[in-house]
Amino acid sequence: MAKRKSNLAGGSRIVLALSILSLILNKPVVAQNVYTLNYPGSTCYLTYISYARDGDYSVIKKPFIFILGEENQTAQQLFDLDTLKKSTAYINFQFIYVPNMGTSPKDKLNCIETLAGSITNNFLFGHANMFLQINDKRITQSDLSLYGLKNVFGKVRFAYPAQRDLALVDTIGNFKEDDLGYKVDKKQKIDNRKEYEKAKVDFFENKTYEKPKKTYMGKPDALNFTLTGIIRDKSTSEALPSASIYVKGTTIGTSTNTDGYFTFLKVPSDTSTLIVQYIGYEKREVFLTPKSDKKNLLIEMIPQSQALQNVTVTAYRDDIVFSRKAEVSTIKLTPKKLETLPSLGEKDIMRSFQLMPGISASNESSSGLYVRGGTPDQNLVLYDGFTVYHVDHLYGFYSAFNSNAIKDVQLYKGGFESKFGGRLSSVTEITSKEGNRNNFNVGGDLSLLSMNLYTEVPIGKKFSSFIAFRRSYKGPLYNKIFDKFNTKPETSTSTPVRQGPGGMFSQNTKVTSYFYDLNGKFTYRPGDKDIVSLSIFNGTDKLDNSVSSEIPSFGQSGSNLNMSSTDLTRYGNIGSSLKWSRKWNSKLYGNTFLSYSNYYSHRDRTQNGTIFNSNNESRTSRNGILENNDLKDYSLKSDYQWDITDFNQIQFGGFATHYDIKYNYAQSDTTTILNRSGQALLGGFYIQSKMKFFNNKLQVLPGIRSSYFETANKMYFEPRASVSYNLTDNLTLKAAYGKYYQFANRVTREDILSGSKDFWILSDGKSVPISSSVHYVAGISYESKNYIFSAEAYYKKIHNLTEYSLRINASPMGINYDENFFNGYGFSKGIEFLVQKNSGNFNGWISYTLGEAKNHFDVYSDTYFPANQDVTHEFKIVGLYNYRRWDFSANWIFATGRPYTAPSGAYSITLLDGSAQDYFTVTSKNSLRLPDYHRLDVSVNYKLYLGSYNDKDRQELGYIGFSLFNVYNRKNIWYKQYAIESGKVIETNVTYLGITPNITISLKFR
Amino acid sequence: MKFRILIQILMIFGAITACTKSDNSEFTDSPIVESYLKPGDHPLIKITRQTPFSSNINYSSDDINSLSIKITDNNISNILTPIGEGQYIDSAITIAEGERYDISFLFNSKSVTAYTEVPNKPRQVTQSVTSITIAQMDFSSGMPTSMPENPDPVSLTWNNPDASYYIVVIENMEKTLTAIRDFGNNTRPGNMFRKAPTTSSGIEIQSMEFQYYGRHRLILYHVLPDYASLYSDKQSSSQNLTNPSTSIMNGYGIFTALNSDTLYLTVKK
Repeated sequence: MAKRKSNLAGGSRIVLALSILSLILNKPVVAQNVYTLNYPGSTCYLTYISYARDGDYSVIKKPFIFILGEENQTAQQLFDLDTLKKSTAYINFQFIYVPNMGTSPKDKLNCIETLAGSITNNFLFGHANMFLQINDKRITQSDLSLYGLKNVFGKVRFAYPAQRDLALVDTIGNFKEDDLGYKVDKKQKIDNRKEYEKAKVDFFENKTYEKPKKTYMGKPDALNFTLTGIIRDKSTSEALPSASIYVKGTTIGTSTNTDGYFTFLKVPSDTSTLIVQYIGYEKREVFLTPKSDKKNLLIEMIPQSQALQNVTVTAYRDDIVFSRKAEVSTIKLTPKKLETLPSLGEKDIMRSFQLMPGISASNESSSGLYVRGGTPDQNLVLYDGFTVYHVDHLYGFYSAFNSNAIKDVQLYKGGFESKFGGRLSSVTEITSKEGNRNNFNVGGDLSLLSMNLYTEVPIGKKFSSFIAFRRSYKGPLYNKIFDKFNTKPETSTSTPVRQGPGGMFSQNTKVTSYFYDLNGKFTYRPGDKDIVSLSIFNGTDKLDNSVSSEIPSFGQSGSNLNMSSTDLTRYGNIGSSLKWSRKWNSKLYGNTFLSYSNYYSHRDRTQNGTIFNSNNESRTSRNGILENNDLKDYSLKSDYQWDITDFNQIQFGGFATHYDIKYNYAQSDTTTILNRSGQALLGGFYIQSKMKFFNNKLQVLPGIRSSYFETANKMYFEPRASVSYNLTDNLTLKAAYGKYYQFANRVTREDILSGSKDFWILSDGKSVPISSSVHYVAGISYESKNYIFSAEAYYKKIHNLTEYSLRINASPMGINYDENFFNGYGFSKGIEFLVQKNSGNFNGWISYTLGEAKNHFDVYSDTYFPANQDVTHEFKIVGLYNYRRWDFSANWIFATGRPYTAPSGAYSITLLDGSAQDYFTVTSKNSLRLPDYHRLDVSVNYKLYLGSYNDKDRQELGYIGFSLFNVYNRKNIWYKQYAIESGKVIETNVTYLGITPNITISLKFR
Repeated sequence: MKFRILIQILMIFGAITACTKSDNSEFTDSPIVESYLKPGDHPLIKITRQTPFSSNINYSSDDINSLSIKITDNNISNILTPIGEGQYIDSAITIAEGERYDISFLFNSKSVTAYTEVPNKPRQVTQSVTSITIAQMDFSSGMPTSMPENPDPVSLTWNNPDASYYIVVIENMEKTLTAIRDFGNNTRPGNMFRKAPTTSSGIEIQSMEFQYYGRHRLILYHVLPDYASLYSDKQSSSQNLTNPSTSIMNGYGIFTALNSDTLYLTVKK
C-alpha cells in the first residue's frame, strides 16, 4: 500500500510538471504592440495595446474585440489580466486593450469610438465584426446608448453580470465572426493594410502617387486656431512661392510668400481639410488632425507629369467650392512648364508672357515686355529682389533669364500694389531656384542656339546652392538672327591668305559674337525661423561686326600697320542680392534685401589705325562714335507682412536706392557730344492693408507709397487701391487704381543701322522730368470646372514722357545737344478677353486685346499721334495636347500693324568732298500702319524616361523637343528703309525672321 | 459651345479689320537750299524741290527758276540773278571773311530765310611732309622679295582756340589715276576722300587711305556746326524718321559759309 501511494505521488509530480510546462507553453509567444493615440494635451490621449493572436497585424478585415478595463486600469494591466485572448475561438481576432481613465462614464467611453475609427480606417469593413467588452462595473447600458456606442459596435457585452441587461445576456461565444458582415466602402478602396502601407512608401519615395487619405475620423480638438506652415517640392524641398492654399468648404484662403510660408489666423477646426494648388504640381488635399503640427506644418507637393495644364490667370479654379485669390491683373508662370510651348532656340519666360492677353507678341526684336501699351522700360523687373535694367540678349531675341535657374515668375500688368514702385506700367517679379536640398543634381540643355548647364549642390541640411550657366555658340540660328540685325554684310573680303616668309601676309579677322548668363543662388537656413540667401546674376552680350586687317611687315623695316573697323557692342547686367528672411512669429514675417545692380553698355563704331614702329611704339587714331552707359544701383529694402487679425494683413516696408548713372557719347575720340552723369538717392516707405469682409467675399487692398527723390528734393506720394468682390463662388468683380512715378528713364533710340542705342538716365526735374502715370483697371472673371473666362479693361494716363533726338537743333552758332530731350504726355487704354481651358489632355487658351496707345509731343505735332508700340487688335490662340510621352503645342498670333513714319519727301545734298547724301522730310509722325503681323509656331516634345512604360518606378530623364517658328514663313515687316534712286524715293521692306526650326535636348540627373 | 464663341470672335474682328484705311503722308512743298559761301567767290545758291514719296501730290505754283531771292550783307540787299536749273548768282557781291550774309525769299506762300557767318581762314597750318612714298603692292607675280616700308601718317595741325569744326578733304589732281593697290572686283574709289569733322587742332591721314599716286590737294575747311551736323548718323528707317537738321527756316538743305586753306602733297611710287 505504501508502494502504490508512492507510485501515485510520483505520477502526480510528472503531471504537475507537465501541466506547468503546458502552461508555460500555452503562454503566447507573440508579443503585443503598444500604441499611442493622439498626443499629450488632447482629450483622448491614451496608450492602448493591440494584440493579434495569430500574429497577423497587417489585415484589418478581421473581427476586433475592444476591451475597456476596470476603473483606473492601464492597458498593460488589462492585457496581463485578460483571459479572452487565450480562447481558441478568437485565434484570428484582434484584441484592443483600452485603458480606463477618467471618472465619469463619459470620459471613459468618449474615446473608444475615436480609437476604433482610427484603427479600422474609419470602419472600412463595417461594424458587424466590431465587438466591445466592458470590464468597468460602473458603466451601464444606458451609458452606452448615450454615447452612441451601440452603433459603433456589432455586439457589446459586460464582463460583470451586475451591469448586464438581461436582453444583452450572452456568453463568450456570441462574439462570433460574421463572414458576410464585412461591408467595403467603395470610395475608399484600400482593402489591405499591406497595400496601403506600400502606397504610403511609394508616395514618400516619389514613384507612384496615390492621393493621401483622410485617416483621422475623430472629433476635433482645437477650433479657430492659428496655423502656419511651409509648402515645398517633395523631392527637392524647394520652397514654392505664391502657392494657393485654402480651407475646403470655406472661403478662407491665402497664398504662400516668396519663401513658401503661409499663415492662417483662424482655421475652423483641426480636422479641416486644406487644399493646396501650385501650377506644375498635383493639386493636393491635406487632412488636418489634432496631431498636425500647427506651428510648422510641412506640405509637400508632387510635380505633375502631364503637360501644361494651367497658366493661372487669377484665382484658383476648382470643382468644389472655395475662396478666390482676389488679385487684379496678375499672371503667374512656372518655368517648369515652359518646355511644352513652342520656342525659338531657348525656352524663354519673357517670350511666353507674350502669349498672354495685354502683352504685345508682334515684337520679335525685343524681349522686354510691352504691357498694355507701355514700353519695356516702364516694366520693373526684379530678380530675387534686385532690379534688372536690361533684359535682352542678341538684339532682343532672347531674354537674359535662364529658365533653368528660375523657380517662379509673377507679372503684374497694371494697378499693382504699393510694395512695388519706380516704374509706370508693370512689374515682373522673378524668384530663382534655391537648389535641391536633399540631393545633388546636374542637368543641361542643348539647342541650336545655346547650351545650358546647371547644378544643384546641397551641403548638409542647412545649405543649398544652385548654379546655372548658359552660352550661345555661333551656330546657324545665332548667325541667322545676327545677320538680320547687321545690314552690313559681314565682310570677310575674300583676301587670299598667302604664306610668305614671316607668316601670313594679310588677314581679315572677324571676332565672334556671343551671349552668356551666369546665375547662382546660395541659401543657408540656420534655424527654423531664418533664411539667408545670396543671389548672383550676370548676363552679358558681345555683338561684334568688326573687320580688322593686320598687315605685318618683314624685312628691314619692322613696322606693322593695323587697321580695323570696329562695330562692337558690349552690354550686360550684373546683379547681386543678399536676402535675410525671418519668421518673427506666426503673425509677422519679414524680408530684408541688400542689393547691387550694374548695367553697362559700351558701343564702339570707329575706324582705328594703329601703327607700331620699329621701336614698338604705337600710335593710335580713332574716328567714329563711342557710346558708353553705366548705371549702378545700390539698394537696401525691407518688406514685412503682419497678420493682425484673420481678416486683415498689413504689409509695410522701406527702401533706399542710390543711383549712379553715367552716359557719354563721343565722336572721333575727342569730341564729346553728350555727357550726362547723375547721382541721386531715392528712399521711402510703403504701407498697405489687405482686408477681407463679408466672409471673405470682399477683399480690399488700399495702400500708399511715398518716396523722396534727392535730385528734386521732394516727396512723392503714390496712393493705390484694389478691390475684388465674389458675386458668387464662380463670378468675381475686380477693380484697381494706382498712381506711379518713375525716376530713372530709359531713352530709346531705335536706329537699326547701329543697333539699339538705348541708354538710362536719371530724371533731373528739368530737361528730363520725373514721369508719372495713373492706372484705372476693372475686370470680371468667371470660373467653371474646366474653363476660365475673364475680361479686363484698363486706362493709363502718362505724364512727362521723354524722347531723345540727337540732331534736331543745329544752327550756324552751334549744335546744342542738351536741348534734344523732348517732353510730352500720352495715354493707353484697352480691354482684354481670355478664355482658358485648363483640364484634360487638351487645353490652352484664346486671348484677344483691343487697345490704343497715343502720345502727344509738341515738337512733333499739336495732336495725339499713335505711339510706336500701339497695336489695335491682338489675337492669340495657344493649344496644348498631351498624349503619353508626347506633348504637342501650337500657337497662332495675329496682330494688326504697328504705326510707322513714312517720309513725305526726300532730297540730296552734295557735300564738299563730292559725295551726295540723301535726306528725308517728314510731316506726320506714325501716321501709317505696317501690314498685319501673324505667325504660327508649333512644337513637339518627347519625354525621355529611364525604364519601360509600365514601370511606375521609372525616372524622368529629360526630353527632346523640336519646334518650328513661323511655320508658313510669313514675311512680317519689321520696318521700312528709304533711299533715293533715279530721282524717286524707294521703299524697301525689312522683315522679321522667317521659318526657323530648332531642336532641343534636355537632360537631368534627377 | 467653345467653337461657337471662337467663331463669333473671329467674325467680329474680321469685320473690324476689313475696313482698313490707307493714309497718305501730307506733303509740304518746301524748297531745298544748297549753298556754300567761300571767300573770294560770288554767292551761288541752288534751289531744288523735294522728291515726294507718294505719287499724287501737288507742287506749289512757284517756279524754281524765277524766285526772287534777296541776299543781305551789311544792310545792303540785292536780288540774285537766276541762271537756270534752280541756280542763282550775284556777281556784285564777293564773299569776305567775317561777314554775315542773310537770304530770304518767298516759296509756297512762306518766307524762307537763313543766315550764316564766314569763319576765319585756318591759321598756323602746318604739314608734316609734302610727299610720301608708298610702294606699289603688286602680287601678280607672287610675293615680292622685300616688303615696302609704311610711311608715317601725314599730320596736319592748325590753331583752333574755340574748338570749332574743321574738315579735311583730300583730292587727287591727276588727269589719269594710277592705283596704288589692286582693287580686284571692287568698284574703283573716286579721286576724293575726306576725314570726319573734328573740333581738335590736328588730324592724321594714314598712308593706307591714299588710293592713287600723284599730286593731291589737301583742303582744310573751317566749317560751321550746321555743316558738320550733316555728317551725323543718317536716319532712313521708318522706325524713327525725323526731319533733318537744318538751320533754314521753312526750308531744308544747307546755307553755310566756310573758309579753307589748301596744301599739297605728292604720293610717289
